[in-house]
Amino acid sequence: MKNIRFHVNGKESNVQCPPAKTLLDVLREDLELIGSKECCGKGECGSCSVMIGDEVICSCLVLAGQIENETIITVEGVGLRENMDIVQEAFINEGATQCGYCTPGIIVAAKSFLNSIEHVPTTDEVKTALGGNLCRCTGYQKIIKAVQTAAKIQNPFYAVK
Amino acid sequence: MSIKVNNPIGKKHRQETSSDRFQWIGKRVPRIDGPEKVTGELQYMTDRSYPNMVWGKVLRAKYPHARITNIDTTQAKVLPGVICVLTYRDIPGFNGFGIVTPDQPVLCEDVVRCTADAVALVAAETNEIAEEALNLIQVDYEPLEVVADAEYAMTEQAPQLHPDGNIHSHVKINNGDVNQAFEEADYIFENTYYSPRQMHAFIETEGGWGMLEEDGVLTIQCPGQYAYRDRLQISRALGLNPESIHVISSPNGGAFGGKDEITVQIYLALLALHSGGRPVKIHLSREESVQAGMKRHPFKVQVKTAAKKDGTIIANQVRAVADTGAYASLGPAVIALAVEHACGPYKIPHVDIEGFCVYTNNGIAGAFRGFGVNQVCVGIETHLDMTAEKIGMDPIEIRKINAYRQGETSSIGHVVKSSVGTHQTLDKAQNCDLWVNRASYKKQPSEPWKKRGVAVATSFHGVGMGIGTPDYGAASIELLPDGRLKVAVGCEEIGTGNGTVYAQVCAEMLHCDMSDITVVQGDTSETLDGGTVTASRSIYTGSKAIATVAPQMIQLLAETAAEILHTPAKNMEIENSTVIDKKDPSNSLTFIEIYDYLSKAKASTKVNGHFYLPKEKEEIKGSGGAPHHIYGYMTHVVMVEVDTLTGETDVLRVVSIPDCGRVMNLQGLEGQTEGGAIMGIGYTLYEDVAIEEGYHKTKNFADYIFPTIRETPEIETIPVEDPEPTNPFGAKGIGEVVMIPIIPAIMSAIYDATGARVRHLPATPERIFEAMKPMNKSAPISSR
Ligand code: FES
Ligand code: FES
Repeated sequence: MKNIRFHVNGKESNVQCPPAKTLLDVLREDLELIGSKECCGKGECGSCSVMIGDEVICSCLVLAGQIENETIITVEGVGLRENMDIVQEAFINEGATQCGYCTPGIIVAAKSFLNSIEHVPTTDEVKTALGGNLCRCTGYQKIIKAVQTAAKIQNPFYAVK
Repeated sequence: MSIKVNNPIGKKHRQETSSDRFQWIGKRVPRIDGPEKVTGELQYMTDRSYPNMVWGKVLRAKYPHARITNIDTTQAKVLPGVICVLTYRDIPGFNGFGIVTPDQPVLCEDVVRCTADAVALVAAETNEIAEEALNLIQVDYEPLEVVADAEYAMTEQAPQLHPDGNIHSHVKINNGDVNQAFEEADYIFENTYYSPRQMHAFIETEGGWGMLEEDGVLTIQCPGQYAYRDRLQISRALGLNPESIHVISSPNGGAFGGKDEITVQIYLALLALHSGGRPVKIHLSREESVQAGMKRHPFKVQVKTAAKKDGTIIANQVRAVADTGAYASLGPAVIALAVEHACGPYKIPHVDIEGFCVYTNNGIAGAFRGFGVNQVCVGIETHLDMTAEKIGMDPIEIRKINAYRQGETSSIGHVVKSSVGTHQTLDKAQNCDLWVNRASYKKQPSEPWKKRGVAVATSFHGVGMGIGTPDYGAASIELLPDGRLKVAVGCEEIGTGNGTVYAQVCAEMLHCDMSDITVVQGDTSETLDGGTVTASRSIYTGSKAIATVAPQMIQLLAETAAEILHTPAKNMEIENSTVIDKKDPSNSLTFIEIYDYLSKAKASTKVNGHFYLPKEKEEIKGSGGAPHHIYGYMTHVVMVEVDTLTGETDVLRVVSIPDCGRVMNLQGLEGQTEGGAIMGIGYTLYEDVAIEEGYHKTKNFADYIFPTIRETPEIETIPVEDPEPTNPFGAKGIGEVVMIPIIPAIMSAIYDATGARVRHLPATPERIFEAMKPMNKSAPISSR
């Protein structure tokens, strides 16, 4: 057991756990942040995506011992129903979620991508940014559209590339 | 009484395709569960946790085929932290499950037939202890010969895997005289096609909870596709009255047919009976899901087609062999549907179709979106293209010549009385940009060594159950204390958005805002038994069930208001969750006031309704359930680009043209056409679970390739709305047909691009490259 201190969604967290526990399990079990999902457990699907700093990572591959003092944002930190982010609203309006199990990971990846750009992304740019997130339901087209819509709303003065 | 409701069941409305007179139906309404999904706030059942919970695990068979000589659980039982270890001896009821034939043991006793088989169950304080306990269970096996091939399984030398032999079912449809027709034919095409073992790859793996409540009720929370049937199968294994079992089966993190059969429900139930009242959780790892979960049946399909010079197909002979793995599950129904659809939506006068559902030791196959039609549509569609090419006819024209219209006789010999949209879909295909300008698109490959091809294919898919399987829908509507309405429909939310359509229908019929509707699905104590969420039936069934019950709610509201206001009920009108006296609009009552009155009078505020789905009168003898009464139709146009140096193929554009009757929600429809197109692309180009000698070589997503966002083409949806008269709104079904014609369309587009035909799917780069070799020799690759 180790005491690990880090920031999640703007709050300081202190967790007592084995240092080899995955960040995904820490989030889901110790902090009850169940938005991040386990699907493959092997870094293949992106359902467990969270931001560490600016970086999107698969939380099933990160161990608790590695997150000391890090700043983490999960889907719950992007927005909840009472304070939804633009990208979350765009996903609803464009129909970019179906069963929804992949959605939290994709929202995190999309948010991080939107944070990093200052234009309306091309289809290819969205494809590159979300290339690590699997979805079995939607066919992805509406996800691409939702990210572009969010970018437009985020800053109406953005140039369409 | 004559309540003025916008009664959509009226005949006049059946012919209308415009949704303008509706406030909600047909509109592009965003999903009602969107907010909780995009924020991660929705708790799926596998997300839940309970204080005092324990972890369950399943010991799977070590061999694909072996005799069990002994099972010793002593060591596992004494491991600290272990709560119980269960084997077949602990099954109080019937040790078997399976939707059609319950031939799969819950826990194996004397023989294992595939590596998906369960031998023992463990519950422990932690997941790790449970895992360790599995290792301590001693199972002695005598390995037996593995049956790895379906054709071999059908021979006499093969070991018999079940008492009735390896051929679980044999279905056939015969019509006319194929031999005579083959003699009269101008052209005959004969080919054998192989299809892949596709994995559902839902993102939420199988899992859930079992809990024995204080009142003695056993609660199973587990994503499924038919709560009542899951409950029946659980009760049979436990020897318990179904009434004492409560199954919650919605929401699902994806299903696609893969959660139609029992997954872990019975394991959860057994463990919950032995955990001292503590809730038990099982959640399969992806590896276990790959090994234990159902897959799509791989088929070998031999097709011989006879055509005349004028483009009419006069005969089609099909022999389909389906590998159902170790157990039947829905295999016999899959092969029956394949036989029913093997000749396409055409009017071929002479057909001879037969299908076999065959046991092997290759895992288990079961229900999967498309249900056998994916595998068989390839033969007839390819042979139509071959005929068209031979006689120099347009591929759309030849389909129009052969496609039946409403009122005509189909290839399987029944008069199709329900709506048929094939011709309209083909018209749209003919006029779509991709088809009209295909020559110029083909001239613009992204690299000189790449080649483009454009092709079209059409198909169909039955809606609801065939003959011989009961098919009914049910819904209830309840007035809640806050004046909202709760609509309850059994069909689960597996991702399709059917719940949103249920809210649309309820709001439409009850004249309220969609935000005043709460939807409940998949819960045996909240919803009536209304059948499965399979067979493309949940929109047709749910919408009709709600339309059936809604007039009763209107009557309850109007009569109650009339009683309170002392006015005749016939004067009452409903508007914005208020009942108004139309003679004196100041005389009105809100739904809340009506609820209060009813509740003080201790009267029920809930109404129930049900109906039977229309069926054909007579089964085609030996067909296993054909024909269906209703079919959905679909045409796909696709453009591919093939790298002639590597065989790698990209699908660049897809035009999806569905006829699903009236479109209930355009956004939901596109969700299906887009998701289905991508799943069809995966099926055709990438996906196959490798099993060798009964062992899964595919373990996780690292070695199972399915489309990522990078493979997503531009997908355009052009719906054709041929309203189905037996649904109050004209709806049919859409969930499965969306991934069917795209399969042969991609295959033909590869041919159009390269001249190579791949008959063994998935059309991997290696297979395409091999198929191109003869072409490369004779004609050097030209650039552009
Ligand atoms: S669960 Fe982490 S990448 Fe799949
Ligand atoms: S919405 Fe179901 S997996 Fe993406």
